[in-house]
Amino acid sequence: MESSLYGASSIDISQLQQTMQAIEYACTSIQMHVSPSESEATILSLRQSPHAYQKCRFILENSQVGNARFQAVAALRDVAVREWGLLQSVDKKGLISFCLGFLFQHSGSAEGYLLAKISAVAAQLLKRGCKAGCYEIEYLAWPTRPEARAKLLFISTISISRLDFTLAEKEAFLSEVKQVVLGVHGFVAQFIGMNFLESMVSEFSPSTSSSMGLPREFHEQCRDGFELEYLKQFYCWAQDAALSVTNRIVECDSDIAEVTVCSSALKLMFQILNWDFQFNRSSQSVKNRTDVFASSTRDDVEVFRKVERIEPGSTWRDTLLSSGHITWLLGLYRTLRHKFSSNGYWLDSPLAESARKLIVHFCSLTGTIFPADNGQMQEQHLLQMLSGIIQWIDPPHEISAAIEDGKTESEMLDGCRALLSIATLTTPLVFDKLLKSFSPFGTLSLLSSLTCEVLKARMACYTDEETWSWVARDILLDTWTALLVETDVTRDTAFPPEGITAAATVFELIVEAELKGFNASSFCLSLCNHKIFDIAAARSAFDEEDDCDYLRASISDISLSALEYFIRCIAGRGTSDPTCTLEELYSLLLITGHVLADAGEGETPLVPEALLTHFVGIVEAEQHPVIVLSSSIIRFAEKCLDPDLRASFFSPRLMEAVTWFLARWSDTYVMSREIGRGSNSNLINDHERQHVQLLSRKILFTFCGEHDQGKLILDSIVCISLATLISYPGENDLQALTCYQLLPALVRRSYVCVHLVTLDSWKNLANTFANERTLFSLTAPYQRSLAEILVRSAIGMKCSEASNQYVRDLMRQITAYLVDLSSKNGLKTIGQQPDAVLWVSSLFERLRGAARATEPRTQNALYEMGVSVMSSVLALLEVYKHEPAVVYVLLKFVVDWVNGQIVYLEAKDTAVVVNFCLQLLQLYSSHNIGKISVNFSISLLNGTNTEKYKDLRALLQLLTSLCSKDLVDFSSDSNDTEKTDIAQVIYLGLHIVTPLISMELLKYPKLCHDYFALLSHMLEVYPEKVAQLNAEMFAHLVATLDFGIHNQDSEVVNNCLGALNALASYHYKERGGGREGLGSHASGFNDLNGQSREDVLSRFLKSLLQLLLFEDYSSDLVSSAADALLPLILCAQGLYQRLGHELIERQATPELKSRLANALQVLTSSNQLSSSLDRVNYQRFRKNLLSFLFEVRGFLRTI
Amino acid sequence: MSDEEHQFESKADAGASKTYPQQAGTIRKNGYIVIKARACKVVEVSTSKTGKHGHAKCHFVAIDIFNGKKLEDIVPSSHNCDVPHVNRTDYQLIDISEDGFVSLLTENGSTKDDLRLPTEEALLSQIKDGFADGKDLVVTVMSAMGEEQICALKDIGPK
Repeated sequence: MESSLYGASSIDISQLQQTMQAIEYACTSIQMHVSPSESEATILSLRQSPHAYQKCRFILENSQVGNARFQAVAALRDVAVREWGLLQSVDKKGLISFCLGFLFQHSGSAEGYLLAKISAVAAQLLKRGCKAGCYEIEYLAWPTRPEARAKLLFISTISISRLDFTLAEKEAFLSEVKQVVLGVHGFVAQFIGMNFLESMVSEFSPSTSSSMGLPREFHEQCRDGFELEYLKQFYCWAQDAALSVTNRIVECDSDIAEVTVCSSALKLMFQILNWDFQFNRSSQSVKNRTDVFASSTRDDVEVFRKVERIEPGSTWRDTLLSSGHITWLLGLYRTLRHKFSSNGYWLDSPLAESARKLIVHFCSLTGTIFPADNGQMQEQHLLQMLSGIIQWIDPPHEISAAIEDGKTESEMLDGCRALLSIATLTTPLVFDKLLKSFSPFGTLSLLSSLTCEVLKARMACYTDEETWSWVARDILLDTWTALLVETDVTRDTAFPPEGITAAATVFELIVEAELKGFNASSFCLSLCNHKIFDIAAARSAFDEEDDCDYLRASISDISLSALEYFIRCIAGRGTSDPTCTLEELYSLLLITGHVLADAGEGETPLVPEALLTHFVGIVEAEQHPVIVLSSSIIRFAEKCLDPDLRASFFSPRLMEAVTWFLARWSDTYVMSREIGRGSNSNLINDHERQHVQLLSRKILFTFCGEHDQGKLILDSIVCISLATLISYPGENDLQALTCYQLLPALVRRSYVCVHLVTLDSWKNLANTFANERTLFSLTAPYQRSLAEILVRSAIGMKCSEASNQYVRDLMRQITAYLVDLSSKNGLKTIGQQPDAVLWVSSLFERLRGAARATEPRTQNALYEMGVSVMSSVLALLEVYKHEPAVVYVLLKFVVDWVNGQIVYLEAKDTAVVVNFCLQLLQLYSSHNIGKISVNFSISLLNGTNTEKYKDLRALLQLLTSLCSKDLVDFSSDSNDTEKTDIAQVIYLGLHIVTPLISMELLKYPKLCHDYFALLSHMLEVYPEKVAQLNAEMFAHLVATLDFGIHNQDSEVVNNCLGALNALASYHYKERGGGREGLGSHASGFNDLNGQSREDVLSRFLKSLLQLLLFEDYSSDLVSSAADALLPLILCAQGLYQRLGHELIERQATPELKSRLANALQVLTSSNQLSSSLDRVNYQRFRKNLLSFLFEVRGFLRTI
Repeated sequence: MSDEEHQFESKADAGASKTYPQQAGTIRKNGYIVIKARACKVVEVSTSKTGKHGHAKCHFVAIDIFNGKKLEDIVPSSHNCDVPHVNRTDYQLIDISEDGFVSLLTENGSTKDDLRLPTEEALLSQIKDGFADGKDLVVTVMSAMGEEQICALKDIGPK
């Protein structure tokens, strides 16, 4: 063990003592919160000190303070990982040996967390020692102290080379480790050994591994090697260890050491099964089924509990399945459970918990571990599992009662989890059949009665706390969803008949429970309700004919009750408190909405397949439940147009539900165009039936079709929305629903717009908006949205002229008002009055909304609209320079308008727009540059900063949209003479804007991103323009790039590196072609303070090297840094050589010097690197740089 | 929009009204509001309902723009709130007197001498130092509900 680490330059014992005391003192004071920063510095200094290894070791062996030892191990780890590349092979072995030796010597005396840390460090060092690609373990005999467990030989180290170690040695080592784990050397050693193996498993699994400053590939290679060679072996040891103590545990009554060993063995097995198996898994099941749900659940719904699938592959078959291992485990649990049945605590003991966890894990086994025998073996396996866990959940009512009486619920919950795992892996039929083989009823009936018990328990106590029934309900509902929802086309979702009844019972109870919940407490539409509604929707996914009746019954129940409630409303007018009824109506509307239509986020919502296929027999529209239900709700909603009824019954909350329902419903049903959608394939042969089915589909679609009631219904919906906007003043939630959901749903499709624009109600809405004052009382963003909606509906006009005319009519008054206002005398005084402020921001919000709806058809009218207010915009910007809210709205309008228009504009118009934008920028800049404002409160001050940030971001967006003109251009003329030079404009714009962006403001990540994205885009696309910039502007640009490279955000750094690459390679190529390149900028310049500085490329070369070699950065950046570094080196060869020499000279020892020199040499010469800037060369340099950094960063950074 | 709706035109005579009624539901964060007869800037708005099926109410948290104190108010969202008329005027700074008053040059060439220096440290030192250095300074004076205060400063001198 004596090596250069400890021996070379020894320090005396008093020094070691001193360090130990300092560290101990720091650790104690940090716990008591005495000067934490100082203590931290002391502890960290250990890592940097020259004799770190010796000191750490000394502390570990001599200190009595657990924390100090802990810190010493951590420091040891950091130092070792950092300097690993430098260490001699013998030192590496020594370090690992030391850790392991310590582990076994002190296993009795040290604290648990310390031991855990040390075994983790040992595992990390072992892993670090894996040379990528060649995974070799080497074993050394390790002489223990005589009094320690005799002859324990347990050393594993990794050889850096593949030399020396024969297969026999390896075998010998393995058998020794095995002996430790099997308990030959006592329980404590066994326990420690098990913990160490657990650390190894978690360290080698990439998701739980610790960072070592190495690339991902390294971790992956380690993982693969480990899985192939060791994982199964470890599992077998754990298995044997557990087996060996089983008898003792079963025989003995008291708590004995074997119990700990057994539970840690089970924990190790659990950990190993958690491994993300890479080899031999079945090819088709790689896709995670739960993804499919994730898209259909709403944002606020918790993502479905991830259902694990464990696919260890065929090599594990003998270990897990054929060896009787599972039988043993189930038997063990059953025996112990029986034995301790009087002792309720046992179920929560670590042994019981780890055994149950493992059992639940086994329920998820799948993949090629089962032979391809048509699923027989898997079925057998699941049957075995189910029979093992059945006691935990059956009979449901007794279990539930016992839990209410205070029995622990953990076993029951684990049982539910096991059911969930089984349900994900089987079809409903198989699932049901499993239990039937040893019981009179099927698994579905059990699941159903279990769910019912849980729901009943939940109904009995409605609290918001997470009780057991809450958790159990969630798991069971997930189970139902797994069974019901068709996620995999190949999977058979047919349901056995009893299963349908069982499911029906559950569904009824769910509805009852939730309705009760609505009444009983302030239980609003929460996460779980959504989940339940999804179940309700899934419920309709049954393929069975019988089910149809049930669904119809339930739907018409709801519709009848809705009507009935309404009648009750009318009858009970003024007599009693309607709250209860209203609340029921509210939830019924929501439930119906969920049943009738899908959310359709991001896609075109279709009529749910189940609703199409189930009511095939119905050919009369009056009997079709969906139609009956929809029309009764629409009729109900229409009642709100009567002012009296509205005042008495249609509370804002009820209207919210109505609006929400109408939005969801109309997105799917209004003038739907999908009659011809594919029908159920198994009915293809049955012509007559198919005909009937088509007929009933047709009824459903034509109900609200273009030629039927569609227009009438559309008309009512528009009237209702207008009523919500006008008659519910100040109800922001309601108006938000109308403006953001209902109306946008109506204008989403052009064929609906065709009818929409002919409606009187729509004209009325447009007229109210354009010419009356009422809608100005809406909050400004709603007005924006309204404008957008109204302009969008112009696509329904017959021709482009009509569309443009419609938009002109709509916006004429609004622009006229702005122009009128801005040309008033005394605008300065009038403008600052609060009503004028409100008015102006409303008007601009409307313009902005209209601008956002720009389409080729309406572009013309909207262009005129913008041009007509240009001068007003500038005048008002002047007036409202102190009114940030107005300025922001105004800027946003310009941004959206330019963004919509720019690609269509002809050269002449482009010039107009560009000029206007520059004027705007200049004006804004003149108002804000050098301005210092002061506020009394910090929150107002922050507010001011945020306002500034938002303004600037808008300005950058404006420049970015101008940029797009060069890339996308739909204008017809290609007359180059009139064309505006966009790049020139952007640089000018940046010149105006950049001084406003302070370093303080760049702390806003979005602004920072936008700014650097724009900057790097400009430098990459137009590097030649940079050469023409003036010195001041250029200096500024360089300063920001410099700032950007050192930013925390890797995306920003990436952008900057891209920009550097562009600059340098432009310069290099131009110079190569005998031209100027960056010209004067590249040959030294004067900075803002007039001092002369070296040329910019050399400067960046220096700072980039500094960054790469000495600073922290994400390893993802290395390749883009390489791309920037190569042209920089090529541009400044001389400087690069000089820097290299300096760096070499700075190294302390000749060994390091030669190493560094070598690495630098390799960096620029290996891989046939040439001096051209083509793709191949970039690639080569990337590789070179990566290996260069591997080689030298470890020792450079410590200096 | 018919003619009687140009209401702000008629009030052009010297800001006769100090406040304007605006529907509570439309007042948003960063807007102004009068709470307890003080002009405030809103920093937080939340809405709630009176009972399940009642009407919405707005809860405002706002900060007094002159003294930085925090104030709160709850108003039914369909009712009107008073919104202060906050005026900001730029003046050129011509003198700082020893007793802490400033002398400002108005647009029409007369002077305004009734304003004290701000108490806020940063701004105070900026004004004093800037003035001592002979820079051309423009100060922004914020006034609302009969109160005035210097709130911002800008150097318009040659670069």
